[in-house]
Amino acid sequence: MANQGLSYEGCNFLRQRLVLSTLSGKRVRIKNIRSKEDDPGLRDFEASFIRLLDKVTNGSRIEINQTGTVLSYQPGLLYGGSIEHDCNPQRSIGYYLEALLMLAPFMKMALKATLRGVTNDPNDPTIDLLKTTAVPLMKRFGIDGEGFDLRVVKRGMAPGGGGEVVLSCPIRRTLKPVQLTEQAKIKRIRGVAYSVRVSPQMANRIVESTRAVLNQFIPDIYIYTDHMKGANSGKSPGFGLTLVAETQNGCFLGAEMSSTPQGQGDPILPEDLGRNCAKLLLEEIYRGGCVDSSNQSLALLLMTLGQQDVSKVLLGPLSAYTIEFLRHVRDFFQVMFKIEVQKPLEDERKSGDKVLMTCVGVGYSNINKTIK
Amino acid sequence: MEEKVQKQRKHQQKHSGPKAQKKKLRKQAGAADGDERKRNPKAFAVQSAVRMAKTFHRAQDIKAKKHHIPVVDRTPLEPPPVVIVVMGPPKVGKSTLIRCLIKNFTRQKLGDICGPVTIVSGKKRRLTFMECNNDINTMIDLAKVADLVLMLIDASFGFEMETFEFLNICQVHGFPRIMGVLTHLDSFKNNKTLRKTKKNLKHRFWTEVYQGAKLFYLSGMVYGEYQTQEVKNLGRFISVMKFRPLVWQTSHPYVLVDRMEDLTDPEKIRTEPKCDRTVSLYGYLRGTHLKNKGQVHVPGVGDFEVSDVDFLPDPCPLPDAQKKRALNEKERLLYAPMAGVGGVVYDKDAVYIDLPASHVHQQQEEMRPTTELVQSLIDTHATLDAKMAASKVSLFSGSGTMGPEGAGEQSGGQDGLQEESVWDSNTNRQRRRVLFPGDEDDGSASSSEDEEEEEEEESDHDEESGKDLSAFLKEARGQSEKTTAGGAPLRKRQRLEETAATAEVPAFADSEDELEVSEEEEDEGQGAGDSGNCSEEDEETEDDDSEEEDAAEDEGKRAKEKEMNEEEEEGVLRWKDGLQQKAAEAFLRHQEAAPNLRKLVYGAVLEADNSEEDEEELGGLFRVSRPQKSRRVQANAVDCSRFHPDTTHDWDLEEMLDTIRDCFVTGKWDDGQDAATLLKQDEELYGDFEDLETGEVHKSQSGQEDVAENTDSDEDGEEEVKVEEEVVQRNKRLEKKRRLKERFDAEYDDGDATYFDDLKEEMQKQAELNRAEFEDVDDETRVQYEGFRPGMYVRVEISSVPCEFVTNFDPHYPIILGGLVSSEGNIGYLQMRLKKHRWYDRILKTRDPLILSLGWRRFQTIPLYHIEDHNGRHRLLKYTPLHMHCGASIWGPITPQGTGFLALQSVAGVKANFRIAATGVVLDLDKSVTIVKKLKLIGYPYKIFKNTSFVKGMFNTVLEVAKFEGASVRTVSGVRGQIKKALSTPPGAFRATFEDRLLMSDIVFLRSWYPVSVPQLYNPITSLLLPVGQKDGWSGMRTLGQLKLDLGIHNKPNQDSLYKPVVRAPRHFNPLHIPKELQKALPFKSKPKQQQAKGKTPRDLQRPKVIREPHERKVAALLHALRTVHNHKRKKAHSVQHARHKEFLQQKEKDEEAKMKRQKEARKRLYRVMGQTEQKKQRSSLKGEQKDS
Repeated sequence: MANQGLSYEGCNFLRQRLVLSTLSGKRVRIKNIRSKEDDPGLRDFEASFIRLLDKVTNGSRIEINQTGTVLSYQPGLLYGGSIEHDCNPQRSIGYYLEALLMLAPFMKMALKATLRGVTNDPNDPTIDLLKTTAVPLMKRFGIDGEGFDLRVVKRGMAPGGGGEVVLSCPIRRTLKPVQLTEQAKIKRIRGVAYSVRVSPQMANRIVESTRAVLNQFIPDIYIYTDHMKGANSGKSPGFGLTLVAETQNGCFLGAEMSSTPQGQGDPILPEDLGRNCAKLLLEEIYRGGCVDSSNQSLALLLMTLGQQDVSKVLLGPLSAYTIEFLRHVRDFFQVMFKIEVQKPLEDERKSGDKVLMTCVGVGYSNINKTIK
Repeated sequence: MEEKVQKQRKHQQKHSGPKAQKKKLRKQAGAADGDERKRNPKAFAVQSAVRMAKTFHRAQDIKAKKHHIPVVDRTPLEPPPVVIVVMGPPKVGKSTLIRCLIKNFTRQKLGDICGPVTIVSGKKRRLTFMECNNDINTMIDLAKVADLVLMLIDASFGFEMETFEFLNICQVHGFPRIMGVLTHLDSFKNNKTLRKTKKNLKHRFWTEVYQGAKLFYLSGMVYGEYQTQEVKNLGRFISVMKFRPLVWQTSHPYVLVDRMEDLTDPEKIRTEPKCDRTVSLYGYLRGTHLKNKGQVHVPGVGDFEVSDVDFLPDPCPLPDAQKKRALNEKERLLYAPMAGVGGVVYDKDAVYIDLPASHVHQQQEEMRPTTELVQSLIDTHATLDAKMAASKVSLFSGSGTMGPEGAGEQSGGQDGLQEESVWDSNTNRQRRRVLFPGDEDDGSASSSEDEEEEEEEESDHDEESGKDLSAFLKEARGQSEKTTAGGAPLRKRQRLEETAATAEVPAFADSEDELEVSEEEEDEGQGAGDSGNCSEEDEETEDDDSEEEDAAEDEGKRAKEKEMNEEEEEGVLRWKDGLQQKAAEAFLRHQEAAPNLRKLVYGAVLEADNSEEDEEELGGLFRVSRPQKSRRVQANAVDCSRFHPDTTHDWDLEEMLDTIRDCFVTGKWDDGQDAATLLKQDEELYGDFEDLETGEVHKSQSGQEDVAENTDSDEDGEEEVKVEEEVVQRNKRLEKKRRLKERFDAEYDDGDATYFDDLKEEMQKQAELNRAEFEDVDDETRVQYEGFRPGMYVRVEISSVPCEFVTNFDPHYPIILGGLVSSEGNIGYLQMRLKKHRWYDRILKTRDPLILSLGWRRFQTIPLYHIEDHNGRHRLLKYTPLHMHCGASIWGPITPQGTGFLALQSVAGVKANFRIAATGVVLDLDKSVTIVKKLKLIGYPYKIFKNTSFVKGMFNTVLEVAKFEGASVRTVSGVRGQIKKALSTPPGAFRATFEDRLLMSDIVFLRSWYPVSVPQLYNPITSLLLPVGQKDGWSGMRTLGQLKLDLGIHNKPNQDSLYKPVVRAPRHFNPLHIPKELQKALPFKSKPKQQQAKGKTPRDLQRPKVIREPHERKVAALLHALRTVHNHKRKKAHSVQHARHKEFLQQKEKDEEAKMKRQKEARKRLYRVMGQTEQKKQRSSLKGEQKDS
């Protein structure tokens, strides 16, 4: 078969490449992974991610050379079922989960994944954020129903980890096209302030300072405090905040902040954290769009994989990650997005430039799902 | 006869009187059907609630059954020609029919029907005819692309196997419209047999297709053609026919190729005739959008990566929309390049003119709209060596080129040295990209990015080249016009090589790309006046990947951001000056930004890959080593989706907070949604109300005012104002009414709309959106976003095609480019449901190679048949069941579930019987299989304790036993047990416990399941690569049976399985032994008799034999003779006696009979007399009594 596959360099965007390769069935070869560095090759967390990918697929062929600088991946079929995976604590579960969410609706059997490791760290989107923004976003594409759930069983902060997350996702044969072109107004702000292995008062202090910032805009703010104790509190102390602004048409913009991991950098005061996180949310609102910045690529992927209909999504400015994702989507699915910049009118006080992304789906249908 | 025909006189109807009255009444009552119910309500009352519920359910069921799941209507505005496959056994009249139809539609005659023939049949419809020959490969391929099948049937012969095979193929691959056409009807002499045959054929056809399927009759031939009127009727049927969307066809792009060109370098072919070829294939794109660089499958050849796709001007366009009924002669186009018709054919970089001598004038006429273009091309007749000479090698991109001197005749038109070099590098790089001037620009732009040296110079350069281009274009066109005026000689099939200059015809110029150029100029000029994205882009080009610069970059950005903000503030101040101008500006900026951001994301769209490739090519000589520039992000940076913005806003500032104030519900709303306005509107609507309790009437504010105003105006007597007020009032009332009605509708109609209606509406909306989204985008850009849309005439370039495809090309066989969607190019295990066709006369054996037609593909593979047990286990079957579905697992191409397939055992030649062996559907795809077969392991007990036995012979090592510990075993006699533990000696022996004591003669067995692997054979059928004339002779892997037959190997049967005469040893029974005691006790009757068997008579008791003397012998002989004579006499006498006696008996019987008869007569007479007397007596007695009384 004349399937040459694609070739890339460098370890960046590894998840995108492998996920798109799995969905499109194209082989991918990644060269020069940290080849110029003192510690060449794949890191542990990447290896862990590849192992996770191996668990959810059947028949994938993964070859890594001796030094780990070259990875070639021939995708198999997505199998799903119930899996358990111990994620490497170098990256939080969000790192793994972002990719897994992209794959989950296209499995042979409904996925029930139990992931263990770091649930919250400052680098990756935390579980709370994914739960409050990515999950409703996916529901927009017709991935809903009984079993769609993302649950934090145990909370584990970086660097120790010890958290546990359960993702269950139903499977879909096709996705619906979406038209999210209107940015409606924000009607409420919700959030979770969590703390583990520190004083439960921390969470309250966070809430206090956050409200001080956000109350200037809207009174409908509720921030839950979540203090986990004992076995459910993981191995390291820490606290953090996730904020989500819900618009009138059911779009969610999220922002979050976690305390610096124990033993790394300067500790942060909960009041500062709350304030800064609130500002991050304002920044996110300033960027605007119907999808927040960390879920842009997920939304674009689901648009690409839709039926052969026009989907439109209004986004804030594209992040570098998204831009690279767009290029990858073109490589793997030959889909180009029509990108239109929408500028706010001068008299409006409605934040910055928006980007309207339009594409025609590839007509993807879940080839893994069995028919009886 | 005449009398019968004569009408009976009608009964005179009454027009008056009570009867007529009654009738009239009844008629009036009958008109309203409901009256019946009114008049007799009891008859229509509910008798049984259950039954009523049932009828209601049934009615609803029937209603619901009619619904189909609504799908989005994705048919393009200008659909591709309808593919009409004309199918039938040989000598049935296929070519004649096509010829007649073509003549009917276009008034042209076509000789040999080679390949697809496209014609314009009406204002909105084009047709592509394709003849299907008798090869089953062709039938399969064409069934997959057909929209309509004309199935020709020789009525004088009846149905042939091909017809049924084709119908079955169609059924499997989605059922296109099928129309039967009966031919050879003139061979029937007898009208009655004709009618009968028609009816029989029609009914058989209906059972195959559907009840009432159209069957067309072509009654006879006139001068070798079908009757004009009948052909016309058939044509009408075809041109109004509607087609159903088929699942496979609507989800895959495909092209029925109507032209093929070999693009391989002739020199390469000369040196290496067997080299892989590069070909370009042309045809209308059908099905769905085709993406560039996708994968295609060419049935009969194999899978290929598309190296390039372009769309060409439609060679057979629909007429321009005009209000008239029929087509005029010029619009009746015919396009069949394979059959040698079609006149001028365009390629990306060349024009082919095919001019049959007689058609010269006509063709010119037909191609009027495009002749301008053609003529502009004609002046450049470059021969091959000129072309070779013109192509130059540039060692470094951007530098001068090396090439034979004086070759640049075309570029001679340009004077400046600079232009030339630009020019040459362009031609050098992309000679094939001709119709896309914009992309050329893009290319140069991208290269300029690549160079990343002095941007200003580069852009100047671009500008100049752009100007020069346009100038040159004008010049070139002027020249061409002159030359054509001079009269360029037209040559038959002449390849006109275009120079890049003529290629830059602005007819297809990309407006957006022009914009890009202009915007680049603007970049130079304005700098800061651009959007953030633009500035980012600029920096990007300057960016050097070094991280130190990032900080500086950020600063720069911040500065620009500030500038932008300032500008915006100014904008706020100047806001009211010129709204229109503002809007125009905003629009312009918007326009600029769009391609800019696109460029940022996707680079210069098409050219990026090519330029890279070219560099690679040069790299063969010199490898240019330069750091990776224009990489936005470090290749080895941290993989994180977080958006860390370059510029962070200071959210402590009040102005900053103000910028997002309106994003919240607490902010200001749009006029349309503002709560205040909405409230006001509501006020207007519901303002007036009357308090029922108090009887107070509340009037809405505005009304009161109006009243007040009215009174005022009355008082003042200003009539005009009053009139105006009236109008306003009326409008207001109308508006109010409308809103109320809307509300009412929304409330009441919504309840009526079902889920189905909603769904349909949703689909409708989506379809409209799909249509509208890219409607006003030009095709160049549009194909990048949504791919090439169906209906376009595309040119698909494919490299590395086997040379046999070109050398053995036969236009009678269809070439189909079937697009593959994601991951259909991969191979894996397929699990399918399969059923042997009931007309196929043998069952299929597991592991016998089978040819499948699945998706676009035809391939040979080795299936394993299996059946699912009740516990979900897939048990291997040796053969397919006779009349049942079974599972089949194959190693083959990944194809979506639900796709149908059909199986054949061979595609070679024509066999008498039905060839389709099985049909089925794909159920599941996987990378592993779970088929098992039963395995019985046998062991023998060698030591038996009570219920425990030691068993040996089942396993060979302790390890094996360990694996089966706890497994249940059984003996032949049915005693169940369990494996307990392995024994050290002998190896493989184990201890097992049973529910009963075993015997040494028992056999212990363990039932287990052994996984079977599917053989990985995937052998695509390469029938198109076979030599011309042998294309139907493809044979692949042979089955075991065929191999044995061919090699003359006979199966050595197992000796034990042979039938032998049954030899039974005579059974020997021992004598019954009765104990003495028992004997004594027995009664005499039952006592064994102590009789000795009779022995031989002793010799002394035997009597001696008598030996006669000669005399005595004579006497005896005489006596014997006498006795014989006597006997004979006696016998004779006896027989005579017997005969006489018989006669006597007969006589006697006769006499007896006569006597009996006589007696019977007498008795009868007697009885009659007796009866009469009796009667008399009775009568007389009665009379006597009467008399007496």
